[in-house]
Amino acid sequence: MTISRRVFVKSGGLALFSLGLDPLFLARAAFAVRPSAGPPDRRILVCLFQRGAVDGLNMIVPHGDPLYYRERPRIAVPATDVVDLDGYFGLHPRLAGLKPLWDSKRLAAIHAIGSPDATRSHFDAQDYMESGTPGVKATPDGWLNRYCQHDREHQDTPFRAVAFGPELPRILAGTAPSLAIADLQAFGLRAPQPAARDRLTRAFEELYAASATGLLSTSSQEAFQAVQTLRRVDPTQYQPANGADYPRGRLGKAMLEIAQLIKADVGLQVAFADVTGWDTHVNQGASEGQLAARLAELGQTLTAFAQDLGEKLDDVVVLTMSEFGRTVRENGNSGTDHGHATAMLVLGGPVSGGKVLGAWPGLDPANRFEGRDVAVTTDFRDLFAEVLARHLGAPDLSAIFPGFTPDLARFPGAISA
Amino acid sequence: MKTRVLLLIAIVAGWPTVVGAQHAAPLTPQDSALHVLNRLAYGPRPGEIERVARAGVLRWIDAQLAPDKIDDQIVARREREFDVLKSDRGDLARLYAEVQRARQERKRMGDTAADKPDDSPVALKGRRLAAQFQQLAVVRAALSERQLYEVMVDFWTNHFNVYFAKGADRFLTPDYIEHTIRRHAMGAFEDLLIATAQSPAMLFYLDNWESVAPGATPPQAMRLQARPLFGRRRPLFPPPRDRVPTDSMRQRAPRGINENYARELLELHTLGVDGGYDQHDVIEVARIFTGWSIKRPQQGGDFEFHDWAHDTGDKQVLGVEFARGHGMDEGIRLLKLLANHPATMHHVSRKLCQRFVNDDPPDGCVDDAVAAWQRRHGDIREVLRAIFQGPDFWAATNVRTKVKTPLEFVVSAMRAVVAEPDTSPRLAQVVARLGEPLYLHVAPDGYPEREDAWVNSAALLERMNAAMALAAGKVQGMTVALDSIDSVADIEALIGAIDDRILGGTMSQNTKQVLTRQLSGISDPMQARALAVGLALGGPEFQRQ
Repeated sequence: MTISRRVFVKSGGLALFSLGLDPLFLARAAFAVRPSAGPPDRRILVCLFQRGAVDGLNMIVPHGDPLYYRERPRIAVPATDVVDLDGYFGLHPRLAGLKPLWDSKRLAAIHAIGSPDATRSHFDAQDYMESGTPGVKATPDGWLNRYCQHDREHQDTPFRAVAFGPELPRILAGTAPSLAIADLQAFGLRAPQPAARDRLTRAFEELYAASATGLLSTSSQEAFQAVQTLRRVDPTQYQPANGADYPRGRLGKAMLEIAQLIKADVGLQVAFADVTGWDTHVNQGASEGQLAARLAELGQTLTAFAQDLGEKLDDVVVLTMSEFGRTVRENGNSGTDHGHATAMLVLGGPVSGGKVLGAWPGLDPANRFEGRDVAVTTDFRDLFAEVLARHLGAPDLSAIFPGFTPDLARFPGAISA
Repeated sequence: MKTRVLLLIAIVAGWPTVVGAQHAAPLTPQDSALHVLNRLAYGPRPGEIERVARAGVLRWIDAQLAPDKIDDQIVARREREFDVLKSDRGDLARLYAEVQRARQERKRMGDTAADKPDDSPVALKGRRLAAQFQQLAVVRAALSERQLYEVMVDFWTNHFNVYFAKGADRFLTPDYIEHTIRRHAMGAFEDLLIATAQSPAMLFYLDNWESVAPGATPPQAMRLQARPLFGRRRPLFPPPRDRVPTDSMRQRAPRGINENYARELLELHTLGVDGGYDQHDVIEVARIFTGWSIKRPQQGGDFEFHDWAHDTGDKQVLGVEFARGHGMDEGIRLLKLLANHPATMHHVSRKLCQRFVNDDPPDGCVDDAVAAWQRRHGDIREVLRAIFQGPDFWAATNVRTKVKTPLEFVVSAMRAVVAEPDTSPRLAQVVARLGEPLYLHVAPDGYPEREDAWVNSAALLERMNAAMALAAGKVQGMTVALDSIDSVADIEALIGAIDDRILGGTMSQNTKQVLTRQLSGISDPMQARALAVGLALGGPEFQRQ
C-alpha cells in the first residue's frame, strides 16, 4: 500500500508536498534527531501499561538509601537480593533477566517520573496518562493516536497502530486508524473450516468492492489487505526465535504477537499492551510474594521479547508506564497505598541505556510529595515526547501534547541522540 | 422560505412524498418510511416499511413523538425478567460492599490470587447484574414500540455520559439511566439538565460531590459518618481488574473546589466549547455548585446539599450576578439560565441534527431546531418535530448517508432477523466487541456520532462476523425468525426477498450479482438463506442508515 487516501483527506493532500516549508519542518528540525539505524519507517514503539500503579521503589530499588529500609521493614528488598545497577539503585531480583540488556546499554530506567496532576485515583491518573493531558478530562483522543494523526510521513497501513487486547484503549482512541486485536489468530472472518473462511472472506471482499462508498470502501480495503497479510504471516505457525520463552498469560501472549507482527514487516509502528495486578495494598511481599510474581512475569516477558527480536530490537523501543507510584512507607497490611512518582523502563536498540535517569529527589520526608510520596521530578510527557521525537521522529509535539511545551532540555535522555 | 412553506403544507396534508431541499427527486412513500425507520428508530423489522407507509409516515412520526400513548406491553413484560431492575441503588451498593469485604478478607488471609478476577458468588452476581443492565439497553432498543424514545435515551445517555466502572458509579449508573435519563428523555431540557446535575451518578463521575469551598470543614457528625468512606482500610468495592480502581472514593478528604463538573457542564452539557464562556466562568460555576453532594455515597445515597461546604461569596457567571446567601438555589438558577441560553440551544440542536440528519449538520436544520426550542421553551419533542419537518431531514443527500454506530448496527440487525433475545449479556457483548461497550465510555463526551469514529478495518471485520452469527442464529441467548424470507427455492427470489424485507429495496445491482454468484452451488436452501442474510447484514448497504 502506498500513501493511503486518508493522508490526502486529512492533510488536504497538498500538505504532503509542502513539508519542507511549513512549521512542521521547523519542529522536526528542533526535535527529531533521528538516529541513523534503520530507515524511519522501520522504527517501532511498544508501550506497556502497568495498570494499578506499580511500586517503583520495589521495581528499581534505592538499596543505597537506609531510609528505604527504615520505611519498609517488612517489604523492602534486602540489599543482598537486589541486582545492583549503579551502587545506589538496583533491579528487583525477579527482574534479573534484564541485567544483560542493562549491561549492553539497551535498558534504561527513569525514576521519580509521573504526572503533574496530584490525583491518587487510578481512574483519573490512567486517563490522564493515556490522554496525555493531565488535569483535562475532556480530551477526546489518546496521545498515541494523536501521534499517528500528526506524523503523516508514516504510511497508514492497517497494522500501523495496534492495541493487543479486547478493546481499544484510551491511549489509541481517536481519528487515526488503529486496531484492537484480542487474538491475532482470530483476526478476520471466522468460520469452522479454513475453506469456508476463505470463501466468506472473498464474498465480503467482493461485496464491498462492488457496493461500498466513502470511508466504508477504504476501510474495507484495508481490512481485507490486513487479512491477506496475516494469512501470509500465519500466526498459528509462529515459533519464537533464539529460544525465547514467553511466560504464559495475557502479557506474554500480547508481546509474542507484537514480536510476530514486527518480524512479519506488516507496517506496525506503535503497539500497546497492558498488564494488571500492581495495586499492592496488602501483602505486597519483598524478594518473593505478590509483587515479585508480577515483576517476574514482566521481566521474563521483556527478556523473551528482546531475545525473540534479535537484531530487530535495533529498531524497537519498549516503554513501560504506570499511572502513579506508591507510598514510601509500607502500610499496616504489609502493602503500599497510592503514591505519586514511580519508575518507568525504556528498552531497545535506540535506547541510551545502562543508566537510571531523572533527577532523584531522595526519600527524605522533607522532599516528599505531601510528605509521603516520591516527588515527581520528570513530567511523564517529557519522556513520552522524547521517545516520540527522537525515536519515531514525531514532527509536532505540541499537537500531540496540547497545553504542554516540549523542551529539549527537559528530555530525560532515554534515546540515543 | 417559499419551499419551506410549501413543504409544510405538504406535510400537514399528510403527503409523505416530500421533496428534498437540494434535490428534486421525491422520496416515495416506501423511501420515506425506510428513512424514518432508519433514523427515528433502530431500523425496520420485516414488513414494517409497508406498514408505516400505508398508515402514513407523518402519522407515525407524530405517534413516536408521544411515546406514553404507545402500548409497549412486550417490553414491559421483558423488563420483568431483568433482576437488575428489582434492585435499587442501595441494594446494589450493599452487594458491592459485600464483594469488597470478602475480597479484602481473602487478601488479609494472604490469598495471592486476590488480584485475579473474583469468582465468588457475590462477585459473580454483581457482574451478572451489571452485564444484564447493558443487555437491557439492547433488548429495549430492539423490541420497544417506542423507538424514537429509545433513540433519545441513547442520545441523552451519551450527552450526559457517566462511566459505569468508576467507583460508586458501579451501583449508581442503573438508577441514573432508569430515573434520570429515561424519565426526562422526551420532556423539557431544563428538567433533564437539573436532574442530571442532582444525580448521584453525575455528582460522583465528575467529582462535584467532593467539591467544597476552600477552608470549609464538615460538622463533626458528618466526619464520623464519612469515616468509612475515606478510611484507609476499607475500600468499597473491588474491581474485576485493577484498571478500574477502588480508591477513587477514598483518595483524600475533600480539600477544596473541584472544577470538573463545572467545566463539562459548560463545554459538553450546555453552552458548547465555543459557547462564549472562559476559565473565570468555570471557576464561578464550580463555586456555585460547592456543596452539591451525595448523602452516604457508599450506601447508594441520594443527592444532598451541604450548606457547610457551600461558597458563601458573591459569584458572577457570563456577566450575570449570583448574590451570596442563596445556597442551593444559586445552582438551580444557574442551571435554568444555562438551559435557556442561546448557545445551549445551538449546541444541543446541532448535536440532534448530527444524530438525525447528517454527521455535518446543515445550518438550516440547526436553525429550525433552535427556533422551535425558543418557541416551545426547550420542549424536546417540539425540537425534534421541527427537525423532522425540516427540508434537510428529507433531502436526498441526507438519506442513507449516516453509518450506524455499533449499537445501531447490532439492534437493526436483530430487528431485521426478528431476534428474540433473553437476559444473557451476549448481544451487549457483541456491541462491545464492535467498540461500544455500553455505559463504559471513559471521557465525559460520550460515544461519538461521526462515522470516522466507528469505521475502521478491524471494526468492519467484526461487523461481518457479527452479521454472520446473527443470521445463523448462533449468538447465544437469542432466537431468530427468518420466516418472512420464505422464497428459499430459487436464488433470484431469495435475493429479492432479502432486498425487500431486510434492505428496504436498497440493494445495489452489484450486490445482487455478488450474492447470486455466492449462492449458486449451495444446495441446502436453509444454508443459502443464512449465508445470504449474513452477507446482506454484513455488507455495505446495511452499514448505513
